Amino acid sequence: MPNPTVTVIGSYPRTPRAGEPFTLRTTLQAMDRGEATWEDVARAQDQVVRDVVAEQAAAGVELVTDGQIRWDDAQTRFAAGLEGVTIGSLERYFDNNTYFRQPEIKGPISRRGPIVVDEFRFARAASPVPVKAVVIGPYTLAALSKRDDGLEFAALVRELAVALSEEARDLAAAGATVIAFDEPALARPLGLPEPDPAALEDAFAALVDGVEATTVLQTYFGDVHPLGETVFEWPFDAFGLDLVAGPGNAGLLERLPAGKVLQAGVVDGRNTKLEPVEEVASRLRWVAERVPLDRVWVAPSCGLEFMGREPAQRKLESLARAAREVGE
Amino acid sequence: MEGLRTTTVGSFPKPDYLATARTAHARGELSREALQELERKATAEWIAFQDEIGIDLLVDGEQARGDMVAFFAEALPSMELGGLVRSYGNRYYRKPIITGELRWTAPMTVEMWRFAQGLTERPVKGMLTGPYTMVEWSFDEHYPSRRDAVLDMAHVVRDEAIALAMAGARYIQVDEPAIHTRPDEDFDLAVEALEVVVHGVDAEFHTHVCYGDVELIYPAMLRLPVSQISLAFKNTDFAYFDLMRKDPWEGADVGLGVLDSHDHRTETVEEVVEGIRGALELLPAERIWVGPDCGLKTRTVEETRDKLRVMTEAVRRLKGES
Repeated sequence: MPNPTVTVIGSYPRTPRAGEPFTLRTTLQAMDRGEATWEDVARAQDQVVRDVVAEQAAAGVELVTDGQIRWDDAQTRFAAGLEGVTIGSLERYFDNNTYFRQPEIKGPISRRGPIVVDEFRFARAASPVPVKAVVIGPYTLAALSKRDDGLEFAALVRELAVALSEEARDLAAAGATVIAFDEPALARPLGLPEPDPAALEDAFAALVDGVEATTVLQTYFGDVHPLGETVFEWPFDAFGLDLVAGPGNAGLLERLPAGKVLQAGVVDGRNTKLEPVEEVASRLRWVAERVPLDRVWVAPSCGLEFMGREPAQRKLESLARAAREVGE
Repeated sequence: MEGLRTTTVGSFPKPDYLATARTAHARGELSREALQELERKATAEWIAFQDEIGIDLLVDGEQARGDMVAFFAEALPSMELGGLVRSYGNRYYRKPIITGELRWTAPMTVEMWRFAQGLTERPVKGMLTGPYTMVEWSFDEHYPSRRDAVLDMAHVVRDEAIALAMAGARYIQVDEPAIHTRPDEDFDLAVEALEVVVHGVDAEFHTHVCYGDVELIYPAMLRLPVSQISLAFKNTDFAYFDLMRKDPWEGADVGLGVLDSHDHRTETVEEVVEGIRGALELLPAERIWVGPDCGLKTRTVEETRDKLRVMTEAVRRLKGES
């Protein structure tokens, strides 16, 4: 049996390892005081990216991300690159004790230019293993934004999909072989606009149109109820499901269409409690009974930035060892 | 007019000398005793100020606390502070970890409450962080489920509430700013936990629910077993009045936030008066407590004093009219 591909979702702690100086934080503080420049901050960010790609690879991750360590949050990172969108007040990020600045959409929407392409290039050059590019999904960006655009919700999602698709095509041209579209809002729809499956299918078709890369629909923080297996009808190559915070996703595995990849989130990205290798391995065997391992990628349940550096690394080591064990 | 009692949500900013002293203590350059002396000095100043402007129900201002969860986590034997976690931008906090079975061993807040109460004739509120929020804002490496952790934490908070009541606290506020984190899955659990905290404890309980989707838990929120619930009315420009018009606010008194805790600008007396008048259309004055939206620790000392003076002036003006 092949070893399932070991990957991650997106964010990684940018905090230092125990005993090391927190240069990124102090450089940003110095910039606020006018004692450091953006170039100083960028240098500090570059160093953290080099560290975290190396750390993920050393832990056994075969497809890493740059840890999103240059982002304040995923919403503003992309909103800042779009015409017709401004950045508003602080809001809680789903059910986490972390915050994001809420985009305010006035429209019309267009991409000003490449948003994360340069930083993808940097990470790719710095990493010993392939790097996955991450782009926020249009539904989540629309659902978390304050709106003054006058559009139907579905029409807004489609406009955003068209703009984000340009970014994805540029990322593919820059060498990204895997591009994940993050759609956590699909798994936590409470209080958010109802996802309309047909409208989303149309928007996602526009999103992946012409994108020469393996595309991932990445959900997390819960299960995709009530959409269920409908998500598999959307035009992505791989589907990321959170099996930790979304136990309802378990029933979907057997419905995964042939030829599609499952990215299974099997260790808790939001709690420091370490899942031992054996426990992760038994979860993976359970997954393997439902989806052949050559079509399975394994990952934490969500980005790892919700915890400190050491527990994050230990989680990845446990995940990678378990993946090797079930692949033997 | 009877009623329109005034209070605050809990925290006040620390004066510069105390902020400096806390940093020095963290670096090992100042003894614990010296720090505590300055904490008491700052507390006494805040008590005197609240007395001077005529607030009805006082607080000690939490001058000995940093973060509302970390303070208790550091004091409890089965919790520790974990590594830094980013909350937003370049801001980080040490998120606590539950490492073992939660149990109360000794009072954590009674000494400071007793000190503060000794300085004034008016009642001083005991201030506790609620069980749901304590667990929700911590990692859990011990319990098999959030429910197990929250209910054990409820017994810890209850024991502290009993200690406060035995020391003489007539009012105890149990803050649950995280209560609407997962209203679909967990609201009943949060209510059950608060019932554990207050059951049979001889005090009047209040709670504070912070920013977030209040509309998702209203009017279910009124089931909380407390006699007053305070909300950040001012921050949403009193939009909760619309909720209250649709479903009457029944049971508990309302804690009416009339000062935006996250705005540097000091409100005018007129706008505070107008906010209170709006509440008076919905509830009698006896059931309205007037306070800020939230803890004021992120404001400066001067901003806090200015805002609170405006608040008490507005209440005096309204009471003088009747």
